[in-house]
Amino acid sequence: MADTKTDNKTKFIKGYTAMVLSRTLDKKIVNAQRQGRVGFYTPTMGQEALQIGAGMALEDRDLIYGYYRDVPLMISRGVPIETILNQIFGNSADISKGRQMPSHFGVKKFNFMSVPSPVASNMPLAVGAAYSIRYKKENKIVLSTFGEGSTSTPDFHASMNLAAVFNVPVVFLCENNGWAISMPVEKQTKVEIWTKAAAYGMRGIKVDGNNMLETYEVVSDAIKRARAGEGPTLIDAISYRMGPHSTSDDPSKYRSQEVTEGSENDPITVTEKLLKGMNYIDDKFIESIKAKTQKIVDDKFDECEKIPPPDPATAFQDVYKNMTWMLSEEVGGIL
Amino acid sequence: MTTMNMVQAINQALSQGMAKDTSIIMLGEDIGTDGGVFRVTDGLLSKFGPERVIDTPLVELGIIGMGIGMALNGLRPIVEIQFQDFIYTAMDQIINQMAKIRYRSGGEYTVPMILRTPYGGGIKGGLYHSQSGESYFVHTAGLTVVTPSNPYDAKGLLMGAMKTDDPIIFLEPKRLYRTIKQEVPEEEYTVPIGKANLVHEGDDLSIITYGSMVPTVLDAISKNKVNADVLDLRTLLPMDRDAIFKTVEKTGKVIIVHEAPRTLGVGAEISALIAENRIDYLQGPILRVTGPDSPFPYRMEDYYIPGEKRIMDAVSKLIKLR
Ligand SMILES: Cc1ncc(C[n+]2csc(CCOP(=O)(O)OP(=O)(O)O)c2C)c(N)n1
Repeated sequence: MADTKTDNKTKFIKGYTAMVLSRTLDKKIVNAQRQGRVGFYTPTMGQEALQIGAGMALEDRDLIYGYYRDVPLMISRGVPIETILNQIFGNSADISKGRQMPSHFGVKKFNFMSVPSPVASNMPLAVGAAYSIRYKKENKIVLSTFGEGSTSTPDFHASMNLAAVFNVPVVFLCENNGWAISMPVEKQTKVEIWTKAAAYGMRGIKVDGNNMLETYEVVSDAIKRARAGEGPTLIDAISYRMGPHSTSDDPSKYRSQEVTEGSENDPITVTEKLLKGMNYIDDKFIESIKAKTQKIVDDKFDECEKIPPPDPATAFQDVYKNMTWMLSEEVGGIL
Repeated sequence: MTTMNMVQAINQALSQGMAKDTSIIMLGEDIGTDGGVFRVTDGLLSKFGPERVIDTPLVELGIIGMGIGMALNGLRPIVEIQFQDFIYTAMDQIINQMAKIRYRSGGEYTVPMILRTPYGGGIKGGLYHSQSGESYFVHTAGLTVVTPSNPYDAKGLLMGAMKTDDPIIFLEPKRLYRTIKQEVPEEEYTVPIGKANLVHEGDDLSIITYGSMVPTVLDAISKNKVNADVLDLRTLLPMDRDAIFKTVEKTGKVIIVHEAPRTLGVGAEISALIAENRIDYLQGPILRVTGPDSPFPYRMEDYYIPGEKRIMDAVSKLIKLR
C-alpha cells in the first residue's frame, strides 16, 4: 500500500507539472500568434486534466490515435516541447517537414499517430490498429481521442460498432469540451455522449474531465479491461474549452465565457486544490514550478523560432516510397 | 501451368500470398463464409481462419479505415470492397488518410495496403454495380492504381502489389472475371507495377486501353484485320509514359479506349501527355472512344460500353480500311 501511495504521489505531481507546462506553452503560442510569430493554433486550455489523467493511465508502448487538441496528452507522454513547437513553426526540424498546418502532430517515437484535419477520421484507424494488436498478440491498447462534435460523424458510429463487434483493445475518450466551434453539445446531439455506447453493446461512462485523478481512475479501469480482452469502452470526459476554437475564432460571437483562468472550474485550480488536500504539493511548490516552467517555455520557444524553414525540395518527397516520374518532372519546373 | 479464369487467378494469388506472409490479412463484406459475392475469396476462410479472413459489418469507410490502422501497426491488409460503386462512402478515408499518411507524417508512417474492388459494367448491374470510377483515384497523389485485363496479369500484379510499401487500388474488371481463361503458372510470379504491356503489334495506329476494354479492342482489330499496336496500360497511376511514347512514335496515330466517361477520364491525361511531348509525331487527331458522360444504364448497357462499332468508327477516321 505504502508503495502505491508513493507511486501515486510521484505520478500525480508529474501530472500536475505536465498541466502547468501545457498551460504555459498554450498561452505562449496563443500570444505569439497574436504577435504574428505563429500562423495558427488550436488552444488546449481547459482540457489538461482529462488528457493528462488519460496519459498517466497509458504505458509507453500503447498507441494514441488522437486529434489536433492533444498537446497536454503529448506532454504527459514525455514528448519534448521542442517537437511540438517545431511542428507549430513548420520548420526544418519538424517531423512532418513543415507540410501540415499547426496543431497536426504526429510523433512515431511516442506512438502518437499523425493527425489529419477531417475530424474523427483517425477513429477507424484506431480500431484497425487495435485489431492488429490482438492479431499480433502484442500487449498494447489503443487510445482514441476526439471532440464531442466528432460523435456526429459516420466515422464515429462506424468505429464504435466495429470496435464492439470485434471486441478489440481500444479506449474511446471523448474530450467533451461542450463546444464544436460555435455549436454547443445540446445542438450536436439529443443524448449524453456516454449513453451512445449502449447502442453498440459497449461500456459507456461519464467522468468529470476537470478532475485529473478521477479521469485517471476511469481511464485506467477501461485500459485494464481492454488489456484483459474485455473490449472497448467509451468515456465521456466533461470539460470546457476555455480558449477559442482556434486562433482564427472569436467565441464572443456565440457564447459567453463560462470558465476563466484561475476560477474554481479551471482544471489547474481543481488539481492544485486536490493535491494540496493530499499534502502532495503546496503554494511554494506551485509558485516555483510555474516560474521555472515559464523560463523553459520562453527559452525553447526562442530556440525553435530560430530554426530555418525546410528546404523547399522536401515538400515533394514522401508522396510514395519512390518519387513518380510525374512529380520529378513537375518539381523540376518549380524548384 | 493451369487454365484459369481471373477469379481463380486472384484467388490463387491471395492464397499464396497469405500462406507465405502472416502479416497479410483480409477484410471485407461477405468475404469469409460466403467467399465474396463474386467468389474471389472462396476457400480462404477455411485455409486461414476467421482472424485473417474477416467478415466485416457493412461499412466501407470503417473497413478501409480499419485496414489503414492495421497497415500502420505492421500488417499488410487486403481490403475487398464489394462493388467499386460503394467505395464513395469511404472516399475521405482513401483520399485524406490512405493516400496522405506517408506524406503528412514526414515518412514516419506508411500504409502498405491493397484495396481490391470489382469495377465496370456488363453484368446487368445498373447505375450502382457498373461504374468505372478510376479517375477519382488516378487524381489522388499517394495512390497507385492498377487494373489487370487477363488472369495472368491479375495474379502477377496482385502478387507484386503484396510486396509494395504504398497503398494500391486494385481495380478488377468484373465483366472479365469468368469470361477469359488462360494458362497461369501455379508458382508465384510478379508482373511489374507501372509497366504497360504491348498486347498486339501493328504499324498503322496505336490503341491505348486497359481493363475490361482490352479484349474488346483485340476482338475488334482481329475481326477487321486492323494492323494496330494495342497497349494495355495495366497501371493507371503512375502511367507507363515511355510505353505510350514508344507506340506513338511508331504509328503517329492514337485512339484511346476506356469504359469510364470521357470527360476527365484517363484518356484525357494520355492525350495531354502525348500532345505535350510527342506532338511532332502525330499524323492525325488523338481520338477517344469512351463511355458517355451519363450514369450507367441498366437495360441499355451495350450502348454505354464501347463496342466494336464505335472502335471501328474511330479507326476508320485515322486509317483507310481495306
Ligand atoms: C469532417 C470535418 N468537417 C468539418 C471540419 C471543420 N472543423 C474543424 S474542428 C470542428 C469542430 C470540432 O468539434 P469537436 O469534435 O467537438 O472538437 P473540438 O474542436 O471542440 O475539440 C469543425 C467543424 C473538420 N475539420 N472536419
